[in-house]
Amino acid sequence: MVETRIVIVDDSSFSIEFIKDILEKNGLKVVGSAGTLEEVKKVVKETRPTLVTMDMTLPGTDGFECIRAIGEIDENIKVIVISSMMDDEIVKKAKKHNVSSYIQKPIDPDELITAINGIIAVEELYQLLQEEYFIIFKEALLDGFNRMTKTLITYKEEYSDTKEYQSEGMTIIIGIIGNFSGRMLLDFSKDVAKKMASAILRKESVTKDEAVAVLGEFANIVSGNACSILNQKNKAFGFRVAPPTILHGDSVLISPPSFPTKTVIADTVFGKLLLNVGFQRGEEKWM
Amino acid sequence: MDVKHVNPFIESFTTVMPQLGFRNIDRGNLSVKGQEINYSGVIIILGIVGDIKGNVVYYIDLEDAKKIASTMMMGMPVDELDEMSQSALSELTNMLTANAATSFSDMGIKIDISTPTLLHGENVSVKMSSSQALCIQLFAEEIPIEINIAFEN
Repeated sequence: MVETRIVIVDDSSFSIEFIKDILEKNGLKVVGSAGTLEEVKKVVKETRPTLVTMDMTLPGTDGFECIRAIGEIDENIKVIVISSMMDDEIVKKAKKHNVSSYIQKPIDPDELITAINGIIAVEELYQLLQEEYFIIFKEALLDGFNRMTKTLITYKEEYSDTKEYQSEGMTIIIGIIGNFSGRMLLDFSKDVAKKMASAILRKESVTKDEAVAVLGEFANIVSGNACSILNQKNKAFGFRVAPPTILHGDSVLISPPSFPTKTVIADTVFGKLLLNVGFQRGEEKWM
Repeated sequence: MDVKHVNPFIESFTTVMPQLGFRNIDRGNLSVKGQEINYSGVIIILGIVGDIKGNVVYYIDLEDAKKIASTMMMGMPVDELDEMSQSALSELTNMLTANAATSFSDMGIKIDISTPTLLHGENVSVKMSSSQALCIQLFAEEIPIEINIAFEN
């Protein structure tokens, strides 16, 4: 578990002390405070907090300018607005600035602590997912492959990059939806697809339609099993899988998504198989 | 497949596109397609789970995709479908589908959407899970965008 380090931004020293008191009484660590844009930049750069509480009215600047400055330093830093102003327009704008929570002054200590705990919980859940998901998907693929084709696979090189890549011939995409959303992608040549399908169906020759159907089901089983294991690790994931979409064609280029994914190449008796999985941090649901 | 499931997508298109700088929005044909569709161009796929399960497949011709990305990026010229324009198009389908999801929830149907996957190529066969897909063609500044909706029963 990572320690939560908090910076308080407010132009009133009374408010800073008040917020600090609430946070520290609840075992949270305050690493700094700021009252102007320059101070915000300085203290955030120096302390690299997990979270910043942000007042909206500040001398010579405003909360949004400070939030943008924080985002430029490190976009993973979470921001909670604590302001006496709270109307639809400002809340909408805060949402656009990816603010994690909005709390109106006078501060209700319970409300503030609940909001912070919620943010920490989501952050920890995402960390857990990042640590575990690829191992679990690889296991699910290995296991599913072994049970359905009665052969083994060996994992070769593993990488996470953000380059476009060319499909070997057939791609299966499965959308994953839960507390975070993502996708699983399997890619192999049409030849591998036919051989794999024929092993799964235990018959000499398979038609293209049969291959497509059986491999779609195969991908569905692999992703479904992996998501069940993740859900067992922490039921807050709540992952479910969408039905598979199968593509095949000439020179299909698959573009990388906006979030990090991991890829592994597997060697099978039928040929090369590519597994790619990734999850997005997801939007905060505070309204 | 229920034809009324198309309406949230039409609504979201007419709401979202003008916000991105496309003023003229038109509605084209609605058709029923089989399980497999063949395309050359840009294909973006999103998964759906919840009260309905399925996939939404967006299709845009390559040249049209560049025009849309260019408009979304304040008229910046797009000669090649680079990373930035691919990201813009993915984000577009994300917004369109998320908006449609909100309309579904107003209809009492709760759905969640997955992240989009973008591909492009020649002569690509796309096979969806349901036996039929509803296909609606919509136009933004006369640029056609096809939305295929394949929901499982």
